[in-house]
Amino acid sequence: MPFTQFTSLDFADIKVQIKDFLRSNSNFTDFDFEGSNFSVLLDTLAYNTYINAFNANLVANESFLDSATLRENVISLARNIGYVPRSKTAATAQVSISDVNVGATNDNTTKFLTLQAGLVCVGSSGNTTYRFSLPDNITSTRVVDIGGTSFAKFDEPITIHEGTLLQRVYRVDASIDQRFIIDSPNIDSSTIRAFVSGPADVTIGRKYKMVDNILNIDKNSEIFLSQEVQDEKYEIIFGDGLFGRKLENNSVITVKYIVTEGETGNGASNFSFQGTFTKSDGTIFTPSDSLTVTTVSNASNGAEVEDVSSIKYFAPRLYSAQYRAVTPRDYEAIIGTIFPQTESVAVVGGEELDPPQFGKVQISIKPKNGTFVSDFDKSQIKNKLKNYAIAGINSEIVDLKLLYVEINCTAYYNPSQIASATDLRTGIINSLNEYANNVEINKFGGRFKYSKVSTLIDRVDNGITSNITKVIIRRDLKALLNQFAQYELCYGNKFNINPAGFNVKSTGFTINGFNDTAYITDVPNKNASGALDGSMKGTLSIVTKNNKGEQRVVVKDAGMVDYKKGEIILNTINITSTVNQNNIIEIQAFPESNDVIGLKDLYLNFDVSKSTINTVKDVIASGEDVSGVVFQRDYYTSSYSNGDLERK
Amino acid sequence: MAIQRKSRAFKDISLSFSPHPVTKDLPVLVNERAVIRSVRNLVETIPTERFFNSLVGTDIRDMLFENYDRTHVMMIEEQIRETLSNFEPRVSNVGATVKAKPDDNTLDVSVFFDITGLDLPTQSFSFILEPTR
Repeated sequence: MPFTQFTSLDFADIKVQIKDFLRSNSNFTDFDFEGSNFSVLLDTLAYNTYINAFNANLVANESFLDSATLRENVISLARNIGYVPRSKTAATAQVSISDVNVGATNDNTTKFLTLQAGLVCVGSSGNTTYRFSLPDNITSTRVVDIGGTSFAKFDEPITIHEGTLLQRVYRVDASIDQRFIIDSPNIDSSTIRAFVSGPADVTIGRKYKMVDNILNIDKNSEIFLSQEVQDEKYEIIFGDGLFGRKLENNSVITVKYIVTEGETGNGASNFSFQGTFTKSDGTIFTPSDSLTVTTVSNASNGAEVEDVSSIKYFAPRLYSAQYRAVTPRDYEAIIGTIFPQTESVAVVGGEELDPPQFGKVQISIKPKNGTFVSDFDKSQIKNKLKNYAIAGINSEIVDLKLLYVEINCTAYYNPSQIASATDLRTGIINSLNEYANNVEINKFGGRFKYSKVSTLIDRVDNGITSNITKVIIRRDLKALLNQFAQYELCYGNKFNINPAGFNVKSTGFTINGFNDTAYITDVPNKNASGALDGSMKGTLSIVTKNNKGEQRVVVKDAGMVDYKKGEIILNTINITSTVNQNNIIEIQAFPESNDVIGLKDLYLNFDVSKSTINTVKDVIASGEDVSGVVFQRDYYTSSYSNGDLERK
Repeated sequence: MAIQRKSRAFKDISLSFSPHPVTKDLPVLVNERAVIRSVRNLVETIPTERFFNSLVGTDIRDMLFENYDRTHVMMIEEQIRETLSNFEPRVSNVGATVKAKPDDNTLDVSVFFDITGLDLPTQSFSFILEPTR
């Protein structure tokens, strides 16, 4: 028998193969019996083969970025294509400190104060305190005289980093193959500062600049690179005399870096000052007055070290982007790298906008721990993007627009197969919540898949016999109260048209001049014979409803609705109050397709909390109603809109 | 092609690996000697000692350190019978007797069995178990 089965990796399979081989090629017979001496040899041989096969498989897997699992190997493979994984990122806050009294004004008054790198503030978040440090010294903007007393002023807000500044010193030994590994975990690699002093120097030395590529580097450039090595530690690499200045033998390297808690530092505020000042002559200065620290912005943007799956995703993309933001995919890869808080990015070229805006790129970012990116972060991202973007392309970071998907679900159940209708409803809601957290939905370009949700509901319990689920899309209009304003809402999905109207519904609000609660509704455009005119457009009206439920049209032509584009435009209107909190008017429509997509900068969000889940007894399945007459009369559910004016 | 056995006898290799003085062949155990060696291997194997087959073997090595009593001896006999019936299909009618010599700290174990498929009288072999560390 030819011995050609190479696919078996299990010990038992290998042993069977060897036995098969011996069965046809050996004079021995006892290999089949566990107690035989031959079995001992077979075990050893099979075990050896198994270990070799396992090792070969492991080595092959770990040799490719797609299949590697050990972080060290993934990083090494990503490094081959020029990708530097993100380190843990310290949460940063902005604070301003009060003027520092440096004593009476005279000739000896210090010319400036320097806030020393290291611990500067202690902040708190919840019941935990966090240390905040400075990676670099900061010098006061000016010293001013007020009534004979001098005050050092720090005019600009100071950016402080959560964590502790540590220092490590190395002596260069050119006789060995020396590596400079910073033996501390949890480093924020962006805070690494390296100083190199010559063998005879007594100072800390010259500051070297950290770079991430060797563009514009020559033999005299005082630069270093950092890279992650094993156990999430970092190694710093200096020049070799061709690219970057080569270190002299016996030089002393001082490396300072911040060790951080990462994500947990986010949200810290209530800072108290713990820093150290030095005067212009280098001596330590202790302020006589206690200093007030004012929080400009709470700590944010702290992040954990980039995980293996993220490295696998971004490394090839950043390689294909070649550090140049040209296509939307390039932007997606680069923004994920320069703003670690990114959960999802949508980039739309200006030529795809309506109307087209050539030479422009519109970027929407969904951060991990919130909905909006702060103005400060936006400007930071824009600044960093300039290093990558091609000249002449203007990038604009816009707030994301949330497109909510809601469902109105009626689940029929067989009462003999479930514990209680309440438990069943809870089970459905829990399953939907789990689905709502799915990455398929919560992203730009996400898609709500109706069939999946419908099947999911059916599978929650064996007692569910069927479900009728209607899909609603909603956007929230933030009203500018007591101001005349125009509003435009894009849904990016075609609306379903009911010729009778009531396709667009809203929550209540009041408008100037009317006390009753008003609602937005629509009337599709029709021709002379009363049929839809094919324009796929309609007129929006504002209708009030009083306590008795009487409806009155107060503004007949309040705007237009484009059913085809999924767009609502409200003409100038003065809204004075809203029924919902935070000046929000929820405006809903029924999509033409039950599968809803998040188009361009629309971020799809499956809103289970505002979805309606009903449970209805299936009297046919339970046997109470054999003919279906009772079901038809009392338990019937429409698959279409209810025709109400108000969104409930 | 159908698998063909080249020999119907039980034929096993000897782990002594001492070559035959004349032919220089490796020594071979055949028939009852092969089976006896197999039985002895099974009895003396400690469970979990075999790769990926933790059930093969008996616990009698551990039992040697217990205080001697009749129940203890019965358990050893039972283990030997059970292991052979589970892992040695070539033997039947297995019997085991254990004679304790408490003063010498040893157990004399005799195992009796018939070999299935070979026209041979009842086989027996004895060995001494003593606690050693």
